[in-house]
Amino acid sequence: MSRKIIEIAGKRLSLSNLEKDLYPSYGFTKAHILEYYRRISKFILPHLKDRALTLKRYPEGVEKEFFFEKRCPSHRPAWVPTARILRHGEEPMTVCLVNDLETLIWVANLASLELHVPLARAGSPETPDSMVFDLDPGDGADILDCTRVALILRDLLANMALTSYVKTSGKKGLHVYVPVNHKETTFEDTKGFSKAVAEIMQKSYPELVTSKMAKEYRKEKVFINWSQNDSSKTMICVYSMRAREKPVVSVPMEWKELEKLAEKADPERMQITHSEAISRTEAKGDLFRDVITKEQRLPHL
Amino acid sequence: MASGAIWKGEINFGNISVPVKLHTSIREERVMFHLLHKRDHVRLRQQMICAYDRQPVPADDQAKGFEVEEGKYVIVDPEELEETVPESSRVIEVHEFVSTGQISAVFLERVYNLEPDGRSKEYTALAKTLTEMAVQGVCTWTMRKRSYIGALHANGRLLRLSTLRYADEVVPAKALELERFSLSEKEIRIASDLINHLSGAFQPEKFKNEHQKKLQGLIDRKARGEKVVVLRPKRLKPTAPDKLLQALEASLKQVA
Amino acid sequence: MRTRDPISESKRASGKEEEPGSHGIWSGTISFSLVAIPVQLVKAVDTGRVSFRMLHNKDYSPLQRRMLCPEEDTIVPPEEIIRGYQIGPEKYVVVTDEELESVSPERSRTIEIIEFIDIKEVDSVYYDHPYYLVPSKGGERAYHLLVEVMRRTNKAGLAKFVLGEREYLVAVKSVEGALSLVTLHYSEEILPTEDIIPEEVKIEADEKRRIKEGINKMRADFDPEKYADLRRNKILALLKKKSREKVLVEAPEIEEVEGKGPADLIAALEESMRKVKKSR
Repeated sequence: MSRKIIEIAGKRLSLSNLEKDLYPSYGFTKAHILEYYRRISKFILPHLKDRALTLKRYPEGVEKEFFFEKRCPSHRPAWVPTARILRHGEEPMTVCLVNDLETLIWVANLASLELHVPLARAGSPETPDSMVFDLDPGDGADILDCTRVALILRDLLANMALTSYVKTSGKKGLHVYVPVNHKETTFEDTKGFSKAVAEIMQKSYPELVTSKMAKEYRKEKVFINWSQNDSSKTMICVYSMRAREKPVVSVPMEWKELEKLAEKADPERMQITHSEAISRTEAKGDLFRDVITKEQRLPHL
Repeated sequence: MASGAIWKGEINFGNISVPVKLHTSIREERVMFHLLHKRDHVRLRQQMICAYDRQPVPADDQAKGFEVEEGKYVIVDPEELEETVPESSRVIEVHEFVSTGQISAVFLERVYNLEPDGRSKEYTALAKTLTEMAVQGVCTWTMRKRSYIGALHANGRLLRLSTLRYADEVVPAKALELERFSLSEKEIRIASDLINHLSGAFQPEKFKNEHQKKLQGLIDRKARGEKVVVLRPKRLKPTAPDKLLQALEASLKQVA
Repeated sequence: MRTRDPISESKRASGKEEEPGSHGIWSGTISFSLVAIPVQLVKAVDTGRVSFRMLHNKDYSPLQRRMLCPEEDTIVPPEEIIRGYQIGPEKYVVVTDEELESVSPERSRTIEIIEFIDIKEVDSVYYDHPYYLVPSKGGERAYHLLVEVMRRTNKAGLAKFVLGEREYLVAVKSVEGALSLVTLHYSEEILPTEDIIPEEVKIEADEKRRIKEGINKMRADFDPEKYADLRRNKILALLKKKSREKVLVEAPEIEEVEGKGPADLIAALEESMRKVKKSR
């Protein structure tokens, strides 16, 4: 078993199993994963900062079992930042905060390929800084149907004076984010608002959209999952890798780019892998920057 | 007479086997309160409530879930999990011996006293050897369908078995993330002197649970309908950081 | 649950769970002689990586522990719960928190170290449950002084303090730069062992040598992680087996948001949707 000691910002880190192939049908090792997260760190870290990380570890690779952990492992190094989360009626727990490069590399070294975070920061767990629409295609629908829904959603929100941003889920769907960054807006607000939006979308485009969770309603339709707007839920972080056959990443898109891709009608073009994610992000900068800074108020609440 | 044994087993390592009986080591007695509803003094029951329909759920309808993904669970029968060794096994298997003191107190959970089951020669020989070598055995066993890890240790001629917590259940001190402070040698010297002056032998019999009697007294007075004067808890004023040295010097003067 | 500690448990039992936002299970002062240090008591034992959740086996909704009034069949909120001592059938003496604290007012907010001892003298049978103390604001310097001096002198402080209906005898010691607090059993709670310990028998040198050899072959350093991993792997194996049987269950969504949302919002959305449809 290979082991390598590195030092980042004076913190020592022991990396293990670097040659382990975690995406076996693609040939992508743990070393490649660490390198991806190192290069994307400048862009991903602001989006992970101060959020309770849910680890999804694939110690034996993406084709084998994963291990889901909300608690920060007790064998963590002392310098890993943590927060204590208390929710009524539940056991308090200590969670990891990925606030710096060394913690990001430590987390990646645990084979935690996917980084999931809540919409709120650990210090204010009931105050989301964005509202999200998780567009999930049911059986018989695909990412192009999601694209159509996303574009309508963008226009609808724009008519309500709300700017929105979109990223690929890295799987089959799209995630539309509406920045809020307003300390008086609660999950109750974002959930109520997003539910009303999802319902009007379903009413106006019944052949394309459903706002209902049940599988039987979702066939050949795009499910607008508004219930992700909840303090107990997490979303895949922008720029996080996904555990699929290929090392695909959840990446932000420009709306005009999405329009073009929709015309080309090739779902494969929307699966952005690690190297493309790095090159396009280095060229375009962080398209999701405004999601964590732009202040918007939800109207009519 | 010793109270009855709770379980019988056999300590095993190499070609050595020592049959023992487990006894509890602690008996706690305390004043028990019940929880009542403020309005009508009806005794309350603890109940598991369904988060979905807010209705109480009877024990038969409760399941234990292991969260494998957000909101997704595998239902696990806890017995199925703890049951590894065939039930008929009575073996306390020693896996390794470690120096006494290596197992930090934070791992210790519950201590059982061991009584020799039958011939006591091997028992005594093992107890003496563990004491002489200053070692403890790390062992595993299954008792009442649950598997345990534990430490086998000796106290004079007595053998004891402590159940141990799992490493991931123990919060390491470094996880508290305490900042380091530089202290002056003078402060350390005076504080050390002070501590040495206040030191004595551990005499546990000196400490009685006086509180228990006082509490019973309070209940009796209230039951007779006497009025109880409520005293405010005493709060000590923290020593200001710049008054620390002064407080240490004054303390030392008091005891020296 | 086996990891639950007595102090949190007594707070939970009195309907007073930890409040979100608070760090410790108790806050007060630890003192020795004329030095008083503001501190908080925190857990040293947590639920660990392998944690389960109680679910309703009908729909797999998570369950929450609540106090229920059997008379009215309602969930009783913490502010309506009081403590009573039973003196007869359906007859209770009510005791308030203030009265409880009043029993030993000098010990409810202060852990006063009465003397220092050599921790090695404390037989492990006395150990009940471990916690840590962490300094509150302004107490950091004195806290670290106590940590450092106890480390150098190899001493532990003995103290008594009261929380809820119990008085705890505790040992406070220095562990890896922090103060560890262990609640101790009272000597009257420790059961005698005279009837258990066998009579003194003569042990042949051979017998001892045989055991010594057995032990020496098995000498190692204590590695607690090894056992935690064993347990985890066991659980993983069980999960693997279970997932082959396809028994993954999911809780229903709790649709807390009832109805259609504010009328204003619905009207504004409908108006916006009309514009969107027109422009497409």
